[in-house]
Amino acid sequence: MAANFDNRDDVSFVPSFCKKIAEYIKNTDIWKSIFRVGYPDTMPKRMAVMRSSFYMHLFPTKVGIHGMKLKYSWCMGGITFFLFLALTITGVLLMFYYVPEEHRAFDDMKDLRYVVPFGVILRNMHRWGAHGMVFTVILHMIRVFYTGSYKPPRQFNWTVGVLLLLLTLLLSFTGYLLPWDQLGFWAVTVGTNMASATPFLGYEGPFSKYLGIAIDNDIRFALIGGTRIGPNALIRAYVWHCVGLPLIATALMVFHFWRIRKDGFSGPM
Amino acid sequence: MDRENEFEKRVSRRRFFNVAGWTGLCAFLGSSGAAAARFFYPKVLYEPASTFNAGKPEEYPAPTGNEQAVVDERWKKSQRVWMVRNREGIYAVVAVCTHLGCTPNWFPTEVRFKCPCHGSNFNPDGEVIAGPAPEPLFRAKIELAPDGSMIVTTGLLGIRRANLQAQKKTLGVFWTEEEKEIIWKPPYFLQLKA
Repeated sequence: MAANFDNRDDVSFVPSFCKKIAEYIKNTDIWKSIFRVGYPDTMPKRMAVMRSSFYMHLFPTKVGIHGMKLKYSWCMGGITFFLFLALTITGVLLMFYYVPEEHRAFDDMKDLRYVVPFGVILRNMHRWGAHGMVFTVILHMIRVFYTGSYKPPRQFNWTVGVLLLLLTLLLSFTGYLLPWDQLGFWAVTVGTNMASATPFLGYEGPFSKYLGIAIDNDIRFALIGGTRIGPNALIRAYVWHCVGLPLIATALMVFHFWRIRKDGFSGPM
Repeated sequence: MDRENEFEKRVSRRRFFNVAGWTGLCAFLGSSGAAAARFFYPKVLYEPASTFNAGKPEEYPAPTGNEQAVVDERWKKSQRVWMVRNREGIYAVVAVCTHLGCTPNWFPTEVRFKCPCHGSNFNPDGEVIAGPAPEPLFRAKIELAPDGSMIVTTGLLGIRRANLQAQKKTLGVFWTEEEKEIIWKPPYFLQLKA
């Protein structure tokens, strides 16, 4: 007689009282209100799971086999999103100790490295994760380019992706100043001085003198809140880094992923 | 009666509220956006004072032997200024690279200022001799106080809303042919007896 592997009750090492407890829990209203569909053993049930669960509905009910191939997608967008989540969590934890104030910022960063329990691993996860995210987002872009996935109907999602790349770079740039060390200070001095060469809006840029743009009313002044990198620049970098840019990036990511769902995964080469 | 109907047709209630609603919304969003943009430009700054007392000219020794000029670094850390004494007098060089704003360093053995960020080099006059800097180093104003000490003005904020040319004039970047004359005269150069 052939064994019936489909019947789960036949092969079981779980004590019967555990099963009874499990059965009881699964029959409670709480359980049923969270997990609407039973065990997804048929195709309609599987699709119902994808549709009815908030988390699962982020994924398509069906994915073509080519869309699952690592060789094709490198999972680079997914890895980038994973790094974004890791950066959000470690970043929020760092905020509990770090104060973006002229006299404290550098010392707080040092405390995170040498005094705060697990501070050094948090800071390093945040730092390396940030480097990694820039790296993976560029690889993702390269993959999308080489597989031609930017072509219609996905051309608008490519545009959103370019904005997300820009936001990733801006997040890196604003985060660079926060340790308030020599490296970040001069990097941001140089970077924001470049903004002063913006046409029309920067005080050293072309045409700006016709608009009355000077060092204390140009675009650089709005970025750093002063005429030089100082306490205002630090708090501005901090707020953009921790609140403003992540909010914008999240909104765009939600759209980016939804758009992928709607357009479907691009085909293999 | 007909005219009224025609008016009703042209400006129906629906159309009136549609236009009024969108106009109101656009006005609200537009003014909020403008206010948000203005919000990012602070009216009051708490930046360090742009003038300082650099002491008496006698405190800065004149060059001896083959030296062209003596670059004094005592104010560099606190004021970002070098006081440079040459054979004729004294002038103040602002230690901000004209390329992208880093602080150059003075190398006495090579007789030049060198910027660590992108490698611009300047001679003791402040003239660019290498690297990407587009302009000579800025000069700060030197004025004599009644007690004979030098008041040096480094900042840009005395001249709100002036264009770049005016800012340059305050800082003393006069390196066109006619301007070259001016940087060797007061207030950008303090003539001293030999």
